[in-house]
Amino acid sequence: MASDTTGAASFAADLKLQFAPFSSALEAGFWHQLTQKKLDDYRLDESPKCIKGYYYNGDPVGLPTRLTLEFSAFDVDGPTPARCCPAVGTLYNTNTLDAFKTTDKKALLEKEAKEIWDAIQSGAALKDPSILCRFILLTFADLKKYHFYYWFCFPALCFPEGIKIVQQPSVLEQVFSAKQIAALQEAYDGLCMKRGTSAVPYFLMKYTDKAVQMAPLGDWDTFFTDTKKVTVGVYDPCTLSQHPGWPLRNLLVLLANRWGSKLDTVEVLCFRDRTLQGSRSIQHSVILQVRLPELSNDSACPKSVGWEKNPKGAMGPRMVNLSECMDPKRLAESSVDLNLKLMRWRLVPSLDLDKVVNTKCLLLGAGTLGCNVARTLMGWGVRHITFVDNAKISYSNPVRQPLYEFEDCLGGGKSKAMAAVDRLTKIFPGVNSEGYNMSIPMPGHPVNFSQATLSQAQRDVEQLEKLISEHDVVFLLMDTRESRWLPTVIAASKRKLVVNAALGFDTFVVMRHGLKKPPVGQNSSVGAADSSPSCSSASSSSSTPAGSAPSLPGSSLFSNIPGHKLGCYFCNDVVAPGDSTRDRTLDQQCTVSRPGLAMIAGALAVEMMVSILQHSEGGYAVASSSDDRMNEPPTSLGLVPHQIRGFLSRFDNVLPASLAFDKCTACSPIVLDHYEREGFSFLSKVFNSSHSFLEDLTGLTLLHQETQAAELSKLYNPEKSIQNYSYGLKTALSSPGN
Amino acid sequence: MSLCVLEEETFRHCCRLILQQSEQLRDGWSWESVQGSQEGYLRKTALRSAVINSSPVGDQVESSSESGPQTSCQSWPDLQQHKKEQSVLVASAGADSIQGDIDDEDDDADEGVCTVSEGSSQVLQYEYHILYSCSYSTPVLYFRAFTLEGRSLSLQEVWSSVHSNFSFRLQNSPLNTITQQEHPLLGQPFFMLHPCRTEEFMRPVLQVAQDHNRPVNYVLTWLSVVGPMVGLDVPLMYTTSHY
Ligand SMILES: [Zn+2]
Repeated sequence: MASDTTGAASFAADLKLQFAPFSSALEAGFWHQLTQKKLDDYRLDESPKCIKGYYYNGDPVGLPTRLTLEFSAFDVDGPTPARCCPAVGTLYNTNTLDAFKTTDKKALLEKEAKEIWDAIQSGAALKDPSILCRFILLTFADLKKYHFYYWFCFPALCFPEGIKIVQQPSVLEQVFSAKQIAALQEAYDGLCMKRGTSAVPYFLMKYTDKAVQMAPLGDWDTFFTDTKKVTVGVYDPCTLSQHPGWPLRNLLVLLANRWGSKLDTVEVLCFRDRTLQGSRSIQHSVILQVRLPELSNDSACPKSVGWEKNPKGAMGPRMVNLSECMDPKRLAESSVDLNLKLMRWRLVPSLDLDKVVNTKCLLLGAGTLGCNVARTLMGWGVRHITFVDNAKISYSNPVRQPLYEFEDCLGGGKSKAMAAVDRLTKIFPGVNSEGYNMSIPMPGHPVNFSQATLSQAQRDVEQLEKLISEHDVVFLLMDTRESRWLPTVIAASKRKLVVNAALGFDTFVVMRHGLKKPPVGQNSSVGAADSSPSCSSASSSSSTPAGSAPSLPGSSLFSNIPGHKLGCYFCNDVVAPGDSTRDRTLDQQCTVSRPGLAMIAGALAVEMMVSILQHSEGGYAVASSSDDRMNEPPTSLGLVPHQIRGFLSRFDNVLPASLAFDKCTACSPIVLDHYEREGFSFLSKVFNSSHSFLEDLTGLTLLHQETQAAELSKLYNPEKSIQNYSYGLKTALSSPGN
Repeated sequence: MSLCVLEEETFRHCCRLILQQSEQLRDGWSWESVQGSQEGYLRKTALRSAVINSSPVGDQVESSSESGPQTSCQSWPDLQQHKKEQSVLVASAGADSIQGDIDDEDDDADEGVCTVSEGSSQVLQYEYHILYSCSYSTPVLYFRAFTLEGRSLSLQEVWSSVHSNFSFRLQNSPLNTITQQEHPLLGQPFFMLHPCRTEEFMRPVLQVAQDHNRPVNYVLTWLSVVGPMVGLDVPLMYTTSHY
């Protein structure tokens, strides 16, 4: 070790004994216990407290000489780990950082040094030599941030001129015979046995060629009849071959004070005792001889040192930030993250969790679907969840909407969007959630009653546009069909991934909307920059695989549809969205579906999003179909379907895929073009007009006339009748691609 | 089924035998009882030191020549890969702004101290607890690792200090049931090897022992399987002795 060689060099130069200082070692449990003590016991009490640490003389070479404090440090009368020596210390826990800073460290040290010196002079240290190895711990616990400031001091009294080495430190086995070493070990074990401990910090020693005798420090006068040559043993935690550890320092002061005038030299055994793989050895102990200066009782208290240097080697305190393991909020976060990481490490090594966790999700609708989608997103560790809903929580909601409770319904009911945010934060404080109590303007729901309603609608549209821009994935989770129209148009225009979920009584559809290619003339890299992370990787490559899809061998009209050619929720319809609630009975307006359905569909919507995010092309991924269930899956998580249609009565799901419809009332080029050019003035026309406005615009009216409208009218697809829907016919009506 | 069920009394008995052995082998296991209750757990701490070469070229690790069960010196693989973790491991210097009011001359005048360069060496402390799970009727391993400052390491940091290729090892090992949990007796966050797969790997061992009519220390056998995965070695001397 480097320090070892420099030590040897300085030894050669001045022949003065140098000691390896203690390094403080704190176990995690110590800080937990200090926190408990501070909260339950000390509170604002700053008076010094007695604590206990320990040191060990069995470390392998290379470890620093440590004084360890564990959670049991506050239990001074408790047991010390086997074969370790206890060290008693004084804890000064300040209430403020300022008090920590301004505490007079020099005075603390001098006070402790004085006590040691007094104990030496009075003889108390002979009876209980543990006072020779004490410590001071100055702390400040910032329990708001879980920052712990601390500074250790291991007080040592100094000889003004140092300690002269008479004989260089040698390894025991070079000085002692094997027989002597065995006898020494036996004598030490005997001494421990006699004293009822498993470690003795200081002892006296006599030896011949064959035998070794030991006695406690206090037996000096009876043990040493001849002071020509005395040997003292110190339990030595240091592993350096040229240096003893700190505990010897004050012992030498004691020896000098009590017997310095009579002693010529002192032999010191730095007793080291380690066991490796069950085999014990002490032969690496170090033996050395020193000459002690005189330190009579008349002398003033010697100068003292001992404050620990910080990791930079300077005189200063240390700080440890334990918020990761003590702040409950951080703990919750790390636990959630760990669970996800474990899923990746164990099962899906290629899973890109960051992509999922960092996805910003906009949930339009905070009802049965919204609640279940939010909970599943939380399960995936998604941190950014925004709710939009204009409803209040009613008495029927909590049993089906897992983010609300009975209390939330009182006094007219809390706003769903706001209550959902509150509950999410309670479930997981690490979430970054916002709520918007606002309505989404709908086709066939006029907004032009007054200037006030018109400008309100304009503000709502602007807010929604802003929210969609700021998020990566838009979930359509409302309970009416027409409220999905505006976000479908905006998200299609902004090239945002849309995941749509809708419920019937015992049927559901979960689908991703087709993700349009970046607008013509727009640099695709620009499009990638402001699009979601889910499609950023796709944008760069969209030109090749997406464009070549139709020519894939074996591709039919309904298989291998690339993401940009997939339909939206409205592509399957041949009638524009209008006021679907107007003619419904109250019964029909409520979402009446089998209670498990929202949980199934909500969960599938999130799992579909995650699968899309794991695909290298994101929203541009070719749609998997039911037929692909036997093939090699395109992502580590499996298929990336366009739609999942579930039939609870049969407990069955199918994975249809359908093309975008060039006369779609929401995502067709003509609608997007009008929206992008005219903005709100176009939208307000849609809101204020009947459904024929959109049908005329897109050419649906013409289509109706051309085909047998009467026949088709059966297929009108209101929210509740998905099971009657036959997508094949309608997709056949649409031209392939746009 | 009954083969793999461990009664609490048997658990205690197994622990007592381990403690007797540990006392002879001096490898540091102790029984910690919870104040004012019958409950307790086996506990062991260990240290690992890695001397990190600060030069950017080499990811050479000087590990000290000796290693043992009580404290072992472990090389630090994947240095480059785990640069980030390491930088976290380096003792925090947040208290730098606070000036020590200790006169530097006081300390420099202390010729009795030998200089120990601390910055180059990183010592990690490991703590292992073996508890009894009433609901699974099996032993459960709790563990954590921390720096000399007492800052707990993340699971990733723990593994990177124990295994060169931990994610590979993880795939097909009982380790894939690790969670972060509050210690049931201490209320502090620990990592826990969930006992749900214990039976899976214990059954064959116990079956063989039963077929040969050989006594088995359930806890010791279990520990020799799960221990090494989290850096806890069980010396062979344990298994060669008879129960
Ligand atoms: Zn469409």
